[in-house]
Amino acid sequence: MAGEWIAKAKAEYTVLIDDKHLVTQLYNLVNVPMGVWINEQGRIVRPPEVAYVDNRYKSLHGIDAAPYLDAIRDWVEKGERSQYAVGEEELKKMLAPQSEDRAKADAEFALAEYLYNLGQGADAIAHFKEAQRLDPDNWNYKRQAWQLSDAERDYGTSFGKEVQKLGGKPYYKPRRLPQKQE
Amino acid sequence: MTKTFLCAAIICLAATIVSVAAETGRAVVIYEGRTIEIAKASIQSADLWVTTADLKRATGFVIKPQGICRDELCFPIPKNRKNEFISKQGRATWFNLTAFAKLTNQSFAWDEKNRVWYFGPRADVRSEYLATLEAPDFTLPDMNGRKHSLRDFRGRKVLLVTWASW
Repeated sequence: MAGEWIAKAKAEYTVLIDDKHLVTQLYNLVNVPMGVWINEQGRIVRPPEVAYVDNRYKSLHGIDAAPYLDAIRDWVEKGERSQYAVGEEELKKMLAPQSEDRAKADAEFALAEYLYNLGQGADAIAHFKEAQRLDPDNWNYKRQAWQLSDAERDYGTSFGKEVQKLGGKPYYKPRRLPQKQE
Repeated sequence: MTKTFLCAAIICLAATIVSVAAETGRAVVIYEGRTIEIAKASIQSADLWVTTADLKRATGFVIKPQGICRDELCFPIPKNRKNEFISKQGRATWFNLTAFAKLTNQSFAWDEKNRVWYFGPRADVRSEYLATLEAPDFTLPDMNGRKHSLRDFRGRKVLLVTWASW
């Protein structure tokens, strides 16, 4: 399904298919798009955070892409000296350990995906619901489940309805970029 | 007194055999990403019991005097709780995989109808990158099926961005 977009983008960067949401689990992600910065030694230098690279949905979430793009350019140029590369101690505080409920949600979600791919979509629904109950702020787990069946029929909701329920509250943790130094 | 003790012992043994024999049949175990079909597993009160041969096949762990071990990694079984983990039935030794998951803080989920168990990473494995800040590695295919690992990009900065076509 994603192939159509990948082909159109003519991406010069590496694009990988993660049909089991492995990266969501490994990095504690909760929605798309989210980004993580990793340096040349393979160490994280910015934690998972909202990563819009254009403003096409700005009217929905109010997040301007420009500061994030500036921050990326700064890091590419200056590396660890960039004000946007987070120091080790601060980063350790920002990367909280996964909660027990989140770990259980990951397991329920993975089981649901397995059942769905086995052709047991109806049996998967209870496990998708349990994953959503355990980790209610995880939009990846909601949106993936809703996509795989009739969300109104099986979950009594839709993405649009859930966004409306937020009443303007952001569904991403606010991004904490330092002010740009002139 | 001896009679009472003997009687109690027989009842306990019978209870153990009944519990292990309950609902024996095939099961699918997904353990740390690997899917293994088990021809003869036993389910009792949502606990999954497998033979020691299947334990090794599905997880790589074996029962040793010092505990449940895989290579250098060993988890001692609490002395007074051995019966929760290990049960002998005839010539076969059975192992309670779900009790082991609880002991090692490993998240799991199961589907009764399809007899499928999913075991995720242990809590210590999930959080080990927090100490080193080393980005957790993964291997995924591109559109042509060619596999790429994060570690292949060492020596270059990586902007890891996720998106979906929902």
